[in-house]
Amino acid sequence: MSDNELHIMSAFDRDLEALQAHFLKLSGLAERALTDAAKALEALDSPAAERVIADDAALDELEEFIQMEAASLIARRAPTASDLRRVLAVMRGAHSLERVGDYAKNVAKRTRVLPQSAPVDGHAGTIRRMSALVTRMLDEATRALVQKDAQLAEAVRKRDLDIDQMYNTLFRSLFTYMMESPANIGPAMHLHFIAKNIERAGDHATTIAEQALYLATGRMPTDPRPKAGIETEG
Amino acid sequence: MNDMTRTGLETETATAKISARGVQVHYGQNHALKNVSVEILDRAVTAFIGPSGCGKSTFLRCLNRMNDTVASARVSGQILLEGEDIYDPRVDPVQLRARVGMVFQKPNPFPKSIYDNVAYGPKIHGLTRNKAELDAIVEASLRKAALWGEVKDRLDAPGTGLSGGQQQRLCIARAIATGPEVLLMDEPCSALDPIATAQVEELIDELRASFSVVIVTHSMQQAARVSQKTAFFHLGHLVEYGDTGDIFTNPKDPRTEAYITGRIG
Repeated sequence: MSDNELHIMSAFDRDLEALQAHFLKLSGLAERALTDAAKALEALDSPAAERVIADDAALDELEEFIQMEAASLIARRAPTASDLRRVLAVMRGAHSLERVGDYAKNVAKRTRVLPQSAPVDGHAGTIRRMSALVTRMLDEATRALVQKDAQLAEAVRKRDLDIDQMYNTLFRSLFTYMMESPANIGPAMHLHFIAKNIERAGDHATTIAEQALYLATGRMPTDPRPKAGIETEG
Repeated sequence: MNDMTRTGLETETATAKISARGVQVHYGQNHALKNVSVEILDRAVTAFIGPSGCGKSTFLRCLNRMNDTVASARVSGQILLEGEDIYDPRVDPVQLRARVGMVFQKPNPFPKSIYDNVAYGPKIHGLTRNKAELDAIVEASLRKAALWGEVKDRLDAPGTGLSGGQQQRLCIARAIATGPEVLLMDEPCSALDPIATAQVEELIDELRASFSVVIVTHSMQQAARVSQKTAFFHLGHLVEYGDTGDIFTNPKDPRTEAYITGRIG
């Protein structure tokens, strides 16, 4: 695989490696934000939620830095073929990770306003498992991208189905809860939006996996994303 | 994802101008070109890229029988221009070169006036009957070469007095004055500054409306900028030939990938 060979101009390799190191770091920040947000929710820990909200600034800053570095690399090195696809994939992937950070921040914001009496018990546990799964998908998708591993990327892409199913189950449960008593509607709506945010974060992991496939194969996957539709009948 | 591979391409509908089949070139013992087969499209720019000594210039020179002048060169295989074998003994190389024009690396205007430089080809090929017709060809050629505005008031001035970029455009005007069908360019911008290069590239893009243009270049960015089709040569082989957008975003052959990304292949 010629992509693994070194460039004649070694500064080109250094630029690409630096770009990917920052991308991996961004992925680490996004995964941690998601994990911390889910933990803060389960414990209804407002100070922890505040920290997640505050930490999002670092994520935004790093994403912007990566976009600038990528633009500079394109301008100076004029990358082609797999080098070009790599830079494009990192740019798009970084954008997805920044969005994941925003979702984690939203989860934390809603956690902050959930009353201590909120019916978080069973639901928060499911949400934590969901976010753990999404976190793992993000980790594997970014690794698939950096290591140009089409197999791993394909596996991540398939796993989005699990997230969708967990979300659907949660949705049904919250729906029942809301029908039981109007007093549950407020907190259950918050929990629903939180679950939706995490489900969206999972979609972004899938997007990154698709970018890894684009890098590895030169084209986006043409088959539709595996999707579990939502069923609203209670 | 194919959006960036399709810009400016209408090559799907273009027809082949030149068909090369199993072309081999030997320079004495040296096997310089190995079994090259390719269809060069009409009204499109085709770029030949590859490291030095890969055979791209050798192949370009086959297309108007420039290798005839090299005593040790032996060309075999078939090159058809509009279905006609250009190596047929009945084909007059001089007539062929009126149909297949050539522009070289260094601008090489004759030490004559701007007018005479352009008028030379039509005169020796007897393409005009009188001065008025010749004037018209000179003007049309200089206009096509995007030089008319800059030289129309000094057509009697020596061609060698122009700037490098203007000289190269003069050579292009000279090459198109005989009404060729194909224009071969061997590194036409390597002696030019970036502004003159951009002007010649803009000109090449305009010329493809009327000609089949083949350009040999060491600048991969130039190939990416001006061509619709790219052929990559390596060690005398035509390794890969395809749409320029595909070659530069997703080449099929690892040798092409290694070359265009600047790796040790």
